Amino acid sequence: MPGTIVVVAEHTGRDIHPATWDAIALAQRLGPERLVAVMPGAEAVGLEAVFDARVHELWLAQHPRLVSYSAELYCLALQQVIDSLAPSWVIIPHTYQGRDFAPRLAARYGRSLIADCTAVVHDGAGLVFTRPLFQGRLNARVRAVGEMPHFITVQPGCYGQDYAKLENVALRVQRVTPRLDGVLIRAQGGPPQRAAHPSVDLTRAEAIVAVGRGIGSAANLEMARRLADLLGAELAASRPVCDEAWLPMERQIGSSGLTVTPKLYVAIGISGAIQHLAGMRGAGTIVAINKDANAPIFRVADIGVVGDLHEIVPALIQVLESRRDA
Amino acid sequence: MSSPVRERLETPILIIGAGPAGLSCALRLSQLLQQGAEAAGLSPEDITVIEKADSIGMHTLSGAVFDPVALEELLPGHAEGGAPLGVPVAGERLLLLSRRHVFSIPWAARLQRNHGCRVISLGRFTQWLAEQVEAAGVNVLTGLPGAELLIEDGVVMGVRTGDRGREKTGAPGTGFEPGADLRARITILAEGARGSLTRQLIERFALDAQSNPQLYSLGMKELWEVPPGRIAPGTVWHTLGHPLLLSMYGGGWLYGLEENRVSLGLMVGLHYADPLFEPHTALQQFKQHPHLSKVLDGGRLLRYGAKTISTGGYWALPRGHAPGALLIGDAGGYVNTRRMKGIHLAMKTGMLAAETAYAALTARNKTFSGLADFDDRVRTSWVGGEMWAARNFHQGFEHGVVPGIAQGLLQLITRGRGLRRRARNLAGHEYMRPKRKGSAAAPSNFDGQLTFDRQTSVYHSAARHAEQQPAHLLVHDTAICVTRCQTEFGNPCTRFCPAGVYEWVESDSGAALKLNPANCLHCKACDIMDPYRNISWIPPEGGGGPRYDGM
Repeated sequence: MPGTIVVVAEHTGRDIHPATWDAIALAQRLGPERLVAVMPGAEAVGLEAVFDARVHELWLAQHPRLVSYSAELYCLALQQVIDSLAPSWVIIPHTYQGRDFAPRLAARYGRSLIADCTAVVHDGAGLVFTRPLFQGRLNARVRAVGEMPHFITVQPGCYGQDYAKLENVALRVQRVTPRLDGVLIRAQGGPPQRAAHPSVDLTRAEAIVAVGRGIGSAANLEMARRLADLLGAELAASRPVCDEAWLPMERQIGSSGLTVTPKLYVAIGISGAIQHLAGMRGAGTIVAINKDANAPIFRVADIGVVGDLHEIVPALIQVLESRRDA
Repeated sequence: MSSPVRERLETPILIIGAGPAGLSCALRLSQLLQQGAEAAGLSPEDITVIEKADSIGMHTLSGAVFDPVALEELLPGHAEGGAPLGVPVAGERLLLLSRRHVFSIPWAARLQRNHGCRVISLGRFTQWLAEQVEAAGVNVLTGLPGAELLIEDGVVMGVRTGDRGREKTGAPGTGFEPGADLRARITILAEGARGSLTRQLIERFALDAQSNPQLYSLGMKELWEVPPGRIAPGTVWHTLGHPLLLSMYGGGWLYGLEENRVSLGLMVGLHYADPLFEPHTALQQFKQHPHLSKVLDGGRLLRYGAKTISTGGYWALPRGHAPGALLIGDAGGYVNTRRMKGIHLAMKTGMLAAETAYAALTARNKTFSGLADFDDRVRTSWVGGEMWAARNFHQGFEHGVVPGIAQGLLQLITRGRGLRRRARNLAGHEYMRPKRKGSAAAPSNFDGQLTFDRQTSVYHSAARHAEQQPAHLLVHDTAICVTRCQTEFGNPCTRFCPAGVYEWVESDSGAALKLNPANCLHCKACDIMDPYRNISWIPPEGGGGPRYDGM
């Protein structure tokens, strides 16, 4: 029967990371007498109540230097808490953060780490953890051997946060201050960054001006952009343009990019390979400008202009500008 | 930067490639492990098969006329029921095509011995075979390419699989997962023709020191749906001549399948001389021959694919074993060039490798020398008999089709010998001649009904690759492309690639070679045919590549 089990709680300052609940769900299945959540941070964040009836105790490891995540400081702080709690198991969410510090923490104790567990069962002889191998193609059954504590990371979502309510448990909150003053660390994290999300949603655009290899160079994009502005359209491209990084991949139309159905689609210098047509065939009115009269784009175009885009596009811009000014 | 920590899996038997060879090997070995009392404590679960396609059969491509002889040995009775074996061959002809006319070549059926064979979809057959293998308890892991051999102290110890999640620059991206080390006592390579690990193994252990350089042919296939009644299921036509010059090795096929489907294609020896020759264009011209177009007219292209096969024959067979490793199927060069068939040989060499591996694993004296009798097992089996009988067939075509057929028939009388005891050859790319002044490939018009440009063909292969990954086609010295190849050979990679991966782009900043790795069909023609041997094919991120549904 495991005595004390520690679960490391991950939070953003505003929310508890949901993977924490998967870690707690797994920890509960180990049948602990005393389940302790440990939350490192600079100050109390007012999230203590959500741990009620989920764990027996919540330890807030607080120190001003824990204001942002640092693997070295987290390990130092957690090590001090673990030393005073003497747990048999330390359970950590298998998040970016957990994956970063868990191996270091386990190494400090000279213990191995069973990473990315998805389930645990008792088989009579002890606990057997399941973890995926080879990008999820195989499952390994792993048993922890050697001295305690054992370190486990838990795959987010594996238990669907299916933890039990602990009956008749009043949450005890304990504040501890790890000794971190004057400790030298070798790496300091920067402020958190949000991953870049696509800045446009071309699938909802009413009008699209798309450019292909015929545009010739990145400098000529300016003219297409001008045309798009005048039409209230988004700028998009066929594959070669995105391959050249003249426009980002998120603006690529076709079978390896987006499928779009705008009311107006202006194809400039796009020959109309089937891969591109697959992504824009459903557009309302298709206008194609291309110097090659045999280009397949003209088979799907409602209005086809055979000619040099360097003459036609500026002329179009001129007409639209004069109309706007009129 | 420290090297990443890799997952490690011990698997006593590791098979690379879930095609007919690899799967037959796995199934035969699992049978032996289940039957044998002295199975050394091993079970079918100790066999792992890895496959780069994201599901079985998606990178498997063949005509295919299938001789069920090996299947009958592997799973007796299944050739009659259960296995998806298409239709029996009914009505077989070898045709010589001129631009407009057709001549039937008599006695030619004797060369191919297709009686009792079946016209099948190799993809479907392979999927069925994989089901039998998985039911036996073998681990079949898809979407996992073998990236490099693990060799320690001169012994193959397994394979490292490819990394996932690298950026275009090669730097690890978010979600990066390093490849895993699959450590095995016996590693069996069943990668098909010109596999990247096979190439490593042959070079490292000089397995081809005694043999002719392997020759390859590029096969391009289309699957069509045609109006009912055009051609009877089971009809088998093989063609020589148009659109290939009579001096070239290669030929076409057209088979009638069930459900008004037609398999057709063109095979071209990758040792032609004219650098401006375009195999994909030749395939389009082939379909324009009246004898074929009247079958296809009004039909619809369903799928396109391309793949190379090993056609060097008996004298090009490398040694089939190295310490800890075996080569089977097309990877080992086991194709009967006279019958133009390799599936049954792939299966049988897989089964023989299984028997070799079983003997080695259960031997008292556990040394790897146990694999050394693999070649003898092959030679004394019917595989050896077939390869020997066809030993000089391909080389008979050195001076073209007419002497080739004549010699082929002479070889029938002389039990395979023909005019010479042992015909020799160079490596395929060495036959390429510099382009002649002023010569240029004829521009082609593609009607989008019967004939297609390469872009459109690639679309019908359903090729997909993760966009963010380093190029898996390594052009070692791009300066050669501009300074030498352009003037000497006219950048033949832009022509022989059946998927338009290589493109010559002229822009304001000058001309350069542009790669479109996302188009790649994994045929490996570039690795074989580049005149400077300047291109290496390595597997892209797992799961990428064509999707040969129903092919």
